[in-house]
Amino acid sequence: MVSKVSTSLEQRPVVFPPGAVSRRRYRITRIATPYLLLLPAGFLYAIFIVYPIFRQFDISFYNWHIFPGVHNPFVGWSNYIRIFHDPAIRTAAFNTLLFLVITVPIQMALGLFAAALVTDRLPGRGLWRALIFIPVVTSWVVVSYVFAYIFAAQGGLANAIVSIFVGHTVHIDWLAQTWTGNAVIWMVSIWKGVGWSFIMFLAALDGVPRDLVESGRVDGASEPRIWRHVVFPNIRPTVVFVLVLLVIGASQVFTQVYITTGGGPFGSTGVLLTYAYKQAFSFFAFSYAAAIASLMAVVVLGLSILQIHLTRRNDNL
Amino acid sequence: MIGIASTSAASAASKPKTITLQYWSTYNTADKEASTIAKVIIPAFEKANPGIKVVSTIYPYADLLNKFIATSAAGNPPDVMRSDIAWVAQLAKQGVIQNVGGLKAFAAIKKNALPGPLLTTEVNGKYYAFPDDTNTQALFWNKADFAAAGITSPPTTITQMLADAQLLTVSSKQQYGLGVDGTDIWNMAPYVWSMGGSFTNAKYSTATGYMDSQATQTAVQTLVTALKAGYIGSDFQGGASAVSGESGFPKGQYAMYIDGPWAINTYATLSPVPSYGIAMFPSGIGGSHSTVGGEDTVIARNGKHIAAAEKFAEFLSAPFAQLAMAKQGDMTSFKTDSAAEVKATPSYKIFAQQLLTSKIRANSPGYSQLDTAWSNAIGQILAGGVTVAAGLASATQLANTALAGS
Repeated sequence: MVSKVSTSLEQRPVVFPPGAVSRRRYRITRIATPYLLLLPAGFLYAIFIVYPIFRQFDISFYNWHIFPGVHNPFVGWSNYIRIFHDPAIRTAAFNTLLFLVITVPIQMALGLFAAALVTDRLPGRGLWRALIFIPVVTSWVVVSYVFAYIFAAQGGLANAIVSIFVGHTVHIDWLAQTWTGNAVIWMVSIWKGVGWSFIMFLAALDGVPRDLVESGRVDGASEPRIWRHVVFPNIRPTVVFVLVLLVIGASQVFTQVYITTGGGPFGSTGVLLTYAYKQAFSFFAFSYAAAIASLMAVVVLGLSILQIHLTRRNDNL
Repeated sequence: MIGIASTSAASAASKPKTITLQYWSTYNTADKEASTIAKVIIPAFEKANPGIKVVSTIYPYADLLNKFIATSAAGNPPDVMRSDIAWVAQLAKQGVIQNVGGLKAFAAIKKNALPGPLLTTEVNGKYYAFPDDTNTQALFWNKADFAAAGITSPPTTITQMLADAQLLTVSSKQQYGLGVDGTDIWNMAPYVWSMGGSFTNAKYSTATGYMDSQATQTAVQTLVTALKAGYIGSDFQGGASAVSGESGFPKGQYAMYIDGPWAINTYATLSPVPSYGIAMFPSGIGGSHSTVGGEDTVIARNGKHIAAAEKFAEFLSAPFAQLAMAKQGDMTSFKTDSAAEVKATPSYKIFAQQLLTSKIRANSPGYSQLDTAWSNAIGQILAGGVTVAAGLASATQLANTALAGS
């Protein structure tokens, strides 16, 4: 019924107004309308996304000053060369990579696990969906502050719990130590991010043909074998999509680090974006910060191309 | 009706237009520093300069520099700012403050300013600020802790200070012999300089051979050893549970620490007032050197009322303002006011004496970055992540980048 309606709509004859001029005007209007409708969004996109990206690349090749009218000498690739000779950025790059390696697989695994549970006729499915997804729609700033309070050395919930177990009051400075500070950053990121993977996998699992799964079960295949040979091949495009987007997101981690540890102690929990931010707004080395951000943009662009490549290859399988 | 209108129009034309100056600072609101500027200095300036009104806004230290830079870029900065001396070179490099060296009033100010504070206003041979207040840190020692340990006088040498710190450390009372309030240059430089170490060359063009020198390594190693031995308190490494020197000292938690003249006013408000003494920073092989601190007055380059701003900056440098603020812990930057200041506040004598040998930190636009490099390296050394030599080598490399970028 639906297909019939849509067919009839597609085949509806176009009624041209009389006259060649009117026909031409109609054709022009028809072609121009979508572009006109896109124009406001395109204008905003150009102003707030495209221009800043190009301006950032531009600034990275100068010794740029924030004050208008001050001479900004062209320095070529020197800001980019500096990145590769900067010992402090290595810690930030390592922390970013560590963040990525730890949080991405855990978010994917937990998201898939939760989606699998909720898919299989769990009572209160809608409630579970909402509960798991709520952190995703909360503010990064609010969540980061909540975790900072939980892990505060004085009066923090984490210390209160540890105190109960050890039998005396403890004041562990979780956020002022490298590994515990990093662990809090990972924790807040996983807690907040897992709901997104969950929703993606939930949608993907809903798309897995039930009859294939049931056939496997009837044929005596174990659950791991069904997942390996039936479920995974069907959700593979989603797995690739989630993986690549989480990797891109992880490479841009900033807010939770800035708010919980501030990159401390002594820069040991800093990541690439907090490092770039500090270069720009503490040291006013705007060009160097722009070079770091530009290089990151290139890496993220590379990952996006990889995503397209992988999904296309998968589509052709 | 027409007559009334023309009379009021004439009166408006003859009445001089009031200029409103925006003045930003980080004055301390916990003591009388902020109220003195608001209730004494500004009213006196407004009385002496009819038609100029000053609106003072106090910001947290961590926010002020960024706010000034951001508003300057947006074309709406405050007219005048009381800037940390360590920011002047950075602001000058960004081109957001006026070169005041050519002003008629500045010639007299330059002649009368103490050498240390004047140096903080100079960047590449040009002057970008009026010296405002100066200070340095001296050794505060807790008389009760010293008496309990059987020590009768404050140490005069670093060797003696470390020996005393050992005697003054009482673990059961969580009492440390020495408090070092952080790993940054402001807090560590007195130890480094006095033990013969340094951070950069005199031209602030390189840290190689200075920050990583044997003398600097020895100075850092001395403090690391004292920390590991438990003579230095939690303030050195910092963190949320660390107790600052100014909080711990009056409670006897730190038997010694270094602080500036403002601490005198802070301790005067406590009940009971702690019993303490102030002495010169102990000497090492390099002498007794503390760090020059303080603030300068800068004028925004694209401020709305440059001439009025210059008048206000000049007024802040004049004896009336200098001596009134000196009573609140802001020591004068001018030779002619020094004697009157010490006479009014005898406890400043030791700080005035210490200032004679105090050194300024690298007056370079790259100072913040250099300081961060140093501080992070010391933090990693204290945490045991790297050796002193490796940590300082890494800091030196970063410091050189910061200085080269300047």
